[in-house]
Amino acid sequence: MNRQLIWIARHSLAIALCVMFVAPVGFLLLTSLMSDAQALTSSYWPQDWHFENYKDVFAKTPMARYLLNTVLYAGAATVFMLLSSVPAAYALARLRWRGQGTVLVVIVCMMMIPPQVTTVPLYLMWANWGLTGTLWPLVLPMLFGDAFSIFLLRQFLLTIPGEYLDAARVDGCGEWRTLLRVVLPMARPGIAAAALFQFFYAWNDYYGPLLYTSENEENWTLSLGLASFKTVHHVQWNLVSAATILTMVPVAALFFFAQRAFVQGVTLTGVKG
Amino acid sequence: MHHKLRHGLTVASFMAPATVGIVVFFVYPLLSAVYFSFTKFDLLTTPEWVGLRNYRHMFEDSFLGTATRNTLWFVAVMVPARMLGGLGSAMLLTTLKRGSGLYRTIFYLPALAPPVAATLAFVYLLKPGVGPVNTALGHLGVDAPLWFNSPGWSKPSLVLLCLWGVGDVMVLYLAALLDVPTAHLEAASLDGANAWQRFRHVTLPHISPVVVFTAVIGVITTLQYFTQAAVAASAASGQATTGAGISSTFGYPEGSTFTYPLWLYVVGFRYGALGYANALAVVLFVVAFAVSLLLLRRTINPERAS
Amino acid sequence: MRRLVVLVAAVALTAACTPAPKDKPIADPGADVSGTVEFWHFFTDREAEAIDSVVADFQASHPKIKVVVKSGQDDSKMTQAIGGGQGPDVGLSYSTDIVGQFCASGAWLDLAQYIARDKVPMDAFPATVKQYTEFKGKRCAMPVLADAYGLYYNKKLFADAGIANPPKTLEEFAEDAKKLTKRSADGTIQTAGFLPEWGFYENSPAHLGPMVGAGWLKADGTSAIGGDAGWQALLKWQKDLVDWFGYDKLEAFRAGLGDEYSDANAFQKGQVAMNIDGEYRIAFAKDQSPDLQFGVAPMPTSGADRYGSGYVTGNVIGISRTAKNPEAAWELIKYLTTDTKAIVKLANSLKNIPSTKDALASPDLKLDGDFKTFIDIFNHPKTTTTPPSSAGPAYQETFQTFCNTWQSGGAPDLKAGLAGVDKDIDSLLKLGG
Repeated sequence: MNRQLIWIARHSLAIALCVMFVAPVGFLLLTSLMSDAQALTSSYWPQDWHFENYKDVFAKTPMARYLLNTVLYAGAATVFMLLSSVPAAYALARLRWRGQGTVLVVIVCMMMIPPQVTTVPLYLMWANWGLTGTLWPLVLPMLFGDAFSIFLLRQFLLTIPGEYLDAARVDGCGEWRTLLRVVLPMARPGIAAAALFQFFYAWNDYYGPLLYTSENEENWTLSLGLASFKTVHHVQWNLVSAATILTMVPVAALFFFAQRAFVQGVTLTGVKG
Repeated sequence: MHHKLRHGLTVASFMAPATVGIVVFFVYPLLSAVYFSFTKFDLLTTPEWVGLRNYRHMFEDSFLGTATRNTLWFVAVMVPARMLGGLGSAMLLTTLKRGSGLYRTIFYLPALAPPVAATLAFVYLLKPGVGPVNTALGHLGVDAPLWFNSPGWSKPSLVLLCLWGVGDVMVLYLAALLDVPTAHLEAASLDGANAWQRFRHVTLPHISPVVVFTAVIGVITTLQYFTQAAVAASAASGQATTGAGISSTFGYPEGSTFTYPLWLYVVGFRYGALGYANALAVVLFVVAFAVSLLLLRRTINPERAS
Repeated sequence: MRRLVVLVAAVALTAACTPAPKDKPIADPGADVSGTVEFWHFFTDREAEAIDSVVADFQASHPKIKVVVKSGQDDSKMTQAIGGGQGPDVGLSYSTDIVGQFCASGAWLDLAQYIARDKVPMDAFPATVKQYTEFKGKRCAMPVLADAYGLYYNKKLFADAGIANPPKTLEEFAEDAKKLTKRSADGTIQTAGFLPEWGFYENSPAHLGPMVGAGWLKADGTSAIGGDAGWQALLKWQKDLVDWFGYDKLEAFRAGLGDEYSDANAFQKGQVAMNIDGEYRIAFAKDQSPDLQFGVAPMPTSGADRYGSGYVTGNVIGISRTAKNPEAAWELIKYLTTDTKAIVKLANSLKNIPSTKDALASPDLKLDGDFKTFIDIFNHPKTTTTPPSSAGPAYQETFQTFCNTWQSGGAPDLKAGLAGVDKDIDSLLKLGG
């Protein structure tokens, strides 16, 4: 009996939280189906339903191209990040070498300079190399490590019991093989988390594309497209909301299918010895 | 000797790309920031060396105190709130077997909302007088605050917004919690430990690297809290935008939401005092560095990894 | 160590990669101009289409010049691009904030040579418009359309309260505001005759300053706010009105009002009986709230000789120093800023005020009675604007911050507060710009 009550209590709490989490998204959804006149007014339920708003979004702006650009940017950034950051995280977590504490601190420091300020010299650098107007200034740095991801992956790799690595080394595996054959499968939740974070960060990144591609509409991402539905003294919030919902659907679906990666692959029951 | 060289080369092969990244995307901008902080600079003219004047001006800047206090308030309140909220919801999720995929997606959904749209939705839901939340509270007889329009409640409202988006922190704790070996938990429970003791002595040590991570990241990102404060101020002030807020509305109401990075942006990019903005950035960096060093102390040298 | 010094020097050099402006020799008059011009502006959506239409007309009459238009580019993007050695040939900015900085740094070219060579009649522009497109004697910008601000009033609410005419003096303004205010039994405001809070919709010191004829900057560019009796009078008047409403009650009322840029605009919904706004509001009100009976009038003033004046600002356009084709850029600017047909077309579609006297007098200009009031305000000799400054909007926003503190009761000593504002503005001027 007690267990049932606890079960009900837990699920009730979860459902209450779900309501709170969904409410603002619901607000955006309802606004996306309103007329322009009703959007952002005090009547929160659509008086009449304007499903054509979603069509209008595609008619007014090349949302499909923005979507493609966003997928390319997020995808490339994620792949590049994994290629550069996983080895670095492994070196910081599981190899022993002089100065690794300092390097970790330096990497964490990379996140501490306000972006408003780092963009000034970096923009000049990219401008000198002729890459402004494209998304390359946002994607290429990922080939050289991403501080957030390296730090995250390092912390995750620390939670893997050392016995597994020792076993592999005793068996004669070099560090690269240890990483690829032994560690990666066990570190899947952490890697999945880092990859998803990077993907979602790039997906919703507004300032990066704004700075580097705003003068080149062909390279715009969805986040820039969201700001298109306005004139100087009026914003069409119904269309902005529709575009926002369209932006959220792919990543929500991606998360739903990918979140199983957190569960599987980690059954570290019974550590030898 | 040969062995050491091999080891060194191995480390180098793992760290090579990141090393380039550190030099180009950290050392270079940091040196630039330090250099520009000693200049009078507006992007359009050659920087003019002015020595310590920008740093001295920080003491004369009558607005800096407000901006600093606001940011420190956020760090003190938002970081623990997010960590606790994330941990709590993650722990709840580990107990829900039925529908876990759906619950996880819904809990994470807010973190996927574009920040500008999310902030606007929140401001409108909490709109005093006409918003659903206040209308509902009014029916219950509660005298609701003015939320984003009240100088006392505007920062807590932003913390609520942050807690609403706690999904990304939650997901990290979830992954870490699922990593805790069930064998250890079972052993502890057989030894007679209750839930709190199991948490403190088995779970917490296992997830501590992730806890440190969220603390450090929390402090660093909160010290740079910008977008939501700007958009909320503009929206609550009656001039909602699709972009990053309108600078003349920043801080509404009564400067309560004007953060240090907002001031840095306004003074550097709107008023043309980019040298001063760089000085502000250097100071912010030093503070972030000091706090992070404190938090990172334990994790820098992991003696035990299991 | 030496490596570090070299690195820092390299950083400094790369960063300071902004060449000093040199006076480019310009072509002889009547020379054949051709080439491509890249044109950045900030408009989006329907308004961007209006610009495209006028640019198409330009290309039709100048077949050798091709214009590439990029919409949605704001000031910071332009600054960043020009600073990085790139940027458009022609840039159109939303406000006059950048004029001071761009003129002083040479980011926009000095147009004096072009104007003299092509004999552009500068007296076709009203004085205020000329004032906000030049800085310290250097003309680096030309005006493109303008906004004028005046008083909107709800005719029905006026009739209900028995007020025949809109107020002309500050005393009448306050009196009418009080008469038009309706409260419920517990004192909550239902309708406000006027919402006197700084920061509400278009209530800013810039827009309300002309009511008292207050000045902003001295000739040397430092702040004149503290010494101006007009500001003190305005702030006292404003605070008295705020206190009459009750600051907390006013904040609670304001918090529930609709967004300025939505259909729920408080004036259009009749929740605020009088509002200071720009001429663009006419079109929105007619479009979104056709049942609203409203009138427009000049802002009330503290001196009868100034009645009929108001505040004016506008968009500005200039040639980047990084322009690849300044001659063609100048042709485009000349067309957009002096060709009457083009200006009238833009004014009609963007619902702004045309910036030349000829365009103002054109029969093609879609005028209705209300719009004419704004044109009169625009033409009034005592109408003022906010002067360009090398620190952009710093002086306005610093003052606005003080006004916000003032209205909430946080600054009991007005004179000392204003002196503090002067000090802050002057030090910001020294810091940047």
